[in-house]
Amino acid sequence: MAAALGSTTLRRALRAALAGLALAAAAIEPGAGAGPRVQRARAEDAWFVEFESICAQTQDAMSLTTDELRALVSRCDRLKPQIEGLDPSRRKVYVKRLQQCRDLYQFVLDTRGQG
Amino acid sequence: MRRIVAMAVLVLAVAAQAEDTGGRKKRTPPQEFGRVVMSNQAKRAKVASVVFDHWLHRAKYTCRVCHVDIGFAMKTGGTDVRAADNAAGMYCGACHNDRTKADGGGKVFPACRAGSSAEAPGCARCHSGGSDARREHDFASFTKDLPKGRFGNGVDWEVAEQKRLIKPVDYVDGISVKRAAMPVQKDFALSGKLPGMPDIIFSHAKHTVWSGCEGCHPEIFTGVKRGTTKYTMVEIFEGKYCGACHVAVAFPTLDCQRCHSKPVQ
Repeated sequence: MAAALGSTTLRRALRAALAGLALAAAAIEPGAGAGPRVQRARAEDAWFVEFESICAQTQDAMSLTTDELRALVSRCDRLKPQIEGLDPSRRKVYVKRLQQCRDLYQFVLDTRGQG
Repeated sequence: MRRIVAMAVLVLAVAAQAEDTGGRKKRTPPQEFGRVVMSNQAKRAKVASVVFDHWLHRAKYTCRVCHVDIGFAMKTGGTDVRAADNAAGMYCGACHNDRTKADGGGKVFPACRAGSSAEAPGCARCHSGGSDARREHDFASFTKDLPKGRFGNGVDWEVAEQKRLIKPVDYVDGISVKRAAMPVQKDFALSGKLPGMPDIIFSHAKHTVWSGCEGCHPEIFTGVKRGTTKYTMVEIFEGKYCGACHVAVAFPTLDCQRCHSKPVQ
């Protein structure tokens, strides 16, 4: 049981680290050889990697610790401005999707607060 | 005896509800149950409304794919779908893009593009409001071998899925988020309000086959403390709570015993 919990925590930490690295990579200016198309693709990947990393945990929301839930809510809030900068089609879809994930994590937090 | 009286009261309440909404309510034919007419953008673009039947899509995809991963709202008029969105691979265009493979081979037909004539064959398949466009899939042939249900589409979709007669896809590449399988939550009972009314047994397991946590919480079920939200059948018939799905798409609330299923002690 403890091993399984440890493995889950490790996977989450790895996912978060990968997402962080991807975001950092996107923030770094590409070299002279990289054209605008490449820059855009990297930026897209970064926000999507972070989005996936956040929203992949909705199924586990009930088993996450309060601190983990708070961290996910904060990550949603940090990611939102990046999604709001996307083209209109993706913006309206992914803002809604991100909000759904955030609302769920906040809902579980509120449930614990009221329980 | 008490159970019979309670059921009779419930039936009368349903009848009264129908009366309130304009006299005798005609039951929707099975092939039209779950039909959604999307007209908010169509009217502005001066094209025919999109007529969407849930039965075909729900046999092939889970609710979660469309209402969580693709982002279709649960409320009528809640999604602002434009041709440009479909062309960008969002909403209908997530699958209707000329790339997605259909389960019978071939490709899923593409959504019509901005500027196309609404009468063009590709467009008229969905923009069919007000016309008698022939559908590719015939309801009667499609459902003839599926287990029968008493109401709604006349199909017991739950049993159809359990028997693997339908295999709704829960993941669309490039759209869905990879998630671990959800730990199964225990069923729980909600007390019926009328004396003798069987309690409701709510099965998380049955619901999570089709949807995920964020499909229901907190948008549909907002209460954070068990027992504080008082559900009424009137609200449910109006499309709140369970009624968000079980009025127009999932088996309808007329099928009382499917939820009020705990034997009375």
